[in-house]
Amino acid sequence: MEKGIIGKSELAKLVEAMAADATCLGPVKDGQDTVLAELGPDTELSFDYANFRLPVKRLFFPQSEVTCVLRDGQLVALPPPDEKTVLFGVRPCDAQALPYLTKIFSDEKYEDPYYLKRRENAVIVSLACHTPCSTCFCTSLGGSPAGRAGCDILAFDLGHELLLEAETEKGKALLAAHEALFAAPTDAQVTAAAEQGAAAEASMAKIETDGITEKADQAFDAPLWEEIAARCVACGVCTYLCPTCHCFGFADEQVGNRTQRVKCQDACMFPLFTLEASGHNPRTTQGQRLRQRIMHKFSYTVKNVGEIFCVGCGRCVLYCPVNIDLREIIEEVRK
Amino acid sequence: MSGGATTSPYLPSAVTIEKITIENEAKDLRTFRLAFCEEADAAAFSHACGQFAILSVAGAGESPIGIASSPLDSGYVEFTVKRYPTGVVTTALHAMEEGDQIGLRGPYGNAFPMRALEGKNIVIVGGGFAFTTLRATIRWILHEQNRARYGNVTVIYGARSPGELLYKDELKGWEARSDIDMFVTVDKGDEGWTGREGFVPTVLQEVAPSADNAVVLVCGPPIMLKFTMPPLLQLGFSPETIITSLERRMTCGLGKCGRCNVGNKYVCKDGPVFTFKEIQALPEGAL
Amino acid sequence: MTKMQDAQNRLRETVKDLFAQQKVDLVVGFEAGSLPLRTRVCFLTSADEADRLVWNAFCTNNPAVYIPRLFQRPASPREEYKPPKLGIVAKACDARAVHKLLEEHQAPRENVTIIGMPCRGMACRDKVVIQAGDEVVEAVESTEGAVEIKTRGGASHRFELQDLLQQACLDCPQAAPEHVDVQIEGASRRDTTRRYEGLKNFEAMSADQRWEYFRHELSKCIRCYACRQVCPTCYCKTCFADMAKPRWTGAGDGLSDVMFYHIGRLMHQAGRCVECDACTRACPVGIDLKTFTRKLGKDVERLFDYVPGLRPDEAPLLCAFEDDDTEEFVTDG
Repeated sequence: MEKGIIGKSELAKLVEAMAADATCLGPVKDGQDTVLAELGPDTELSFDYANFRLPVKRLFFPQSEVTCVLRDGQLVALPPPDEKTVLFGVRPCDAQALPYLTKIFSDEKYEDPYYLKRRENAVIVSLACHTPCSTCFCTSLGGSPAGRAGCDILAFDLGHELLLEAETEKGKALLAAHEALFAAPTDAQVTAAAEQGAAAEASMAKIETDGITEKADQAFDAPLWEEIAARCVACGVCTYLCPTCHCFGFADEQVGNRTQRVKCQDACMFPLFTLEASGHNPRTTQGQRLRQRIMHKFSYTVKNVGEIFCVGCGRCVLYCPVNIDLREIIEEVRK
Repeated sequence: MSGGATTSPYLPSAVTIEKITIENEAKDLRTFRLAFCEEADAAAFSHACGQFAILSVAGAGESPIGIASSPLDSGYVEFTVKRYPTGVVTTALHAMEEGDQIGLRGPYGNAFPMRALEGKNIVIVGGGFAFTTLRATIRWILHEQNRARYGNVTVIYGARSPGELLYKDELKGWEARSDIDMFVTVDKGDEGWTGREGFVPTVLQEVAPSADNAVVLVCGPPIMLKFTMPPLLQLGFSPETIITSLERRMTCGLGKCGRCNVGNKYVCKDGPVFTFKEIQALPEGAL
Repeated sequence: MTKMQDAQNRLRETVKDLFAQQKVDLVVGFEAGSLPLRTRVCFLTSADEADRLVWNAFCTNNPAVYIPRLFQRPASPREEYKPPKLGIVAKACDARAVHKLLEEHQAPRENVTIIGMPCRGMACRDKVVIQAGDEVVEAVESTEGAVEIKTRGGASHRFELQDLLQQACLDCPQAAPEHVDVQIEGASRRDTTRRYEGLKNFEAMSADQRWEYFRHELSKCIRCYACRQVCPTCYCKTCFADMAKPRWTGAGDGLSDVMFYHIGRLMHQAGRCVECDACTRACPVGIDLKTFTRKLGKDVERLFDYVPGLRPDEAPLLCAFEDDDTEEFVTDG
């Protein structure tokens, strides 16, 4: 089944049906915020949100997870969780980031089973944005508020009902499995969705990103990095909220009488990130660290896996405590 | 290694410490001879000169260490590890005894291009405890299977003091050979020292190895590399014929975690072996 | 011209003067930000940059956080130490933080010129958004005491600043910045009667309820360390939370590790936190850190009659003791 219409009032039935063999997560109001939370039989879905504060990558690449434990004197690998999930309400920017991350966590030589198993077990149902924020700039980076990259199903909020369009075999299978709950969409509904997407796209301010990789390479030694980083406080907000950032580290820990090796998210913005045991640190200034993060996203990943590692979700712009604005950096770099 | 269980590139293989050699007077440099606990792991492990592996001490953590044994040293793998007082893993390693079990995953990284160097004269310049992978390379070259394939081999190796020289017995053995020219030096000798005194870059200029049909493999602390590059270039070596090993803090070893990323290269995956020309092309003054 | 614009102009002129008299070679202040309801910290190195400075109800950052970095000694003893002659635009909370840092030898006193601002309090972004009910796309402090905004949906609103004040401003122990080197003329908030009002709900909770609230809030933590990094009095080169030897707490977001980090940081802030709420503003997941810092601050004030940075001549709290210091924490004997 490729497309289906479902009334918002019927969604609880769909969730109930899906919950039979998968954990369902969706947008739920939490005070002023909307979070991606597990859906119970009575959980009310929220449709009145811009995006989750935290990126969806955390479902596949959590802040911390145990990879090995010591058992009888030997380190053994813990298996990745094997639960099936359905993620509903993922914005297209977050979904677009997932294939980028897959390129990192799975290459010709090595695969990260923790990321890959989780991704394999998940069905991503994106929800197109009808009113992008003023800080969103997905369209400047090859994305769209109605973007289809990275999701299994793209849903449109048409007011009283949702239009679901399958993008992958997994998506088709999910729709087919619950066919009875869907109606065939009318032409008007399909058109309304397309128009909504187009209108949302048109409403967004665009920033120029042509040639950003070459410009970034040329700007490597420019004074702009130290100038901007003068106010950077070296926290991890931009990195941890970014849908595509993926640096990590390991730490061995003792929990009670269990010795475990934990894989944790990390950030190249932290001063200790590259600190060596000898005391030598190849990046001693915040300008060098800021530059590394930007260059990695706009130049190095482009050369290595063919993608700019930014989907224009705007979280770093919104949440940076000192108002460092990536859109301004891109503009500066392109000068 | 648990059969049928999760395979994960982050899981080390179990190895036993067969032998520990304290290499220096300060006792903070030890060579660990490791043997795989499982046959299958031993059979699967095959490395090349210049590569590194990640040693794991459960409860302490992991550390990337250059492989100090030659690929032809069979039945074991050797690592020379410096203990840093601030280092959790190196301190834990140095507290271990022969017979203890630790973990190893690897080999990682690229290697010295030994195939491409056949028929050439090899100049090896090493400083301090960066000499470990060079030692693996020398053992490889000197092996009877390989020696004939290479031209002259010149080694310039320096340490801060006589007590800090690694592989002392091996050095003596090499000095006695006629198919390798050894120039061992120390920054400052002691009463018993009858050998050379002088910094590695200075000795390099004195020895002045010919750059004709030659390639130089140079490993050392950043400060030594900084002062060794100009004399090498002066001797006629080109950025393509100067090969070094880059140091960065590494974590995953697989080119994923981002810690060793320099330019669009990962030192653990695209390195640690780079030509000086490749390093010049990297941003961040990578040396 | 509004009174705020007056103060802004006076600030600009004062800074130009300070540069001209060579009393400063670096001024840290606020300039326009790229988002509504925000300004950003700026670093000025000459008088001609002074017109970048702004002064309004959105100057929420605490610029004192940059002092340890600006006065850091070079790594090599052979490198010459050239500390700046710093001018720092300061609200009352910022000035308290500067004094705390001076007391802790983070800068030589003679190198710091504190420029006290007439502070009527800052607008809390969350309060604005809640009252506007929509994304704010434009915000201006129009006349003194009012904030006019436009929303994404096209609505316009006018709010009184006193209805938008940050908790830190409501709780401020000072009517105006004190112990400053230069005071920019203008009316300050003056109302210190509402101090600790915001703690009423928390204090009404039982110990179990407080613990549950603490756990609930901290379960959101993602270990980004924004709280620590924006805090002016958190400047350890290696934070205890980042140490491997000894490993005081795990690096991940397990609740136990998270709470250990936050409890540790709070305790390290006891007697040092100036309650500027920079930590709470910086937190990307909305943890109510200010309730915990404020409670700690209130306990410190109650037990020791001490408010960090308020009286710069006082000995730091934990570096001195009096014979009549409270012993109510002693539970036995």
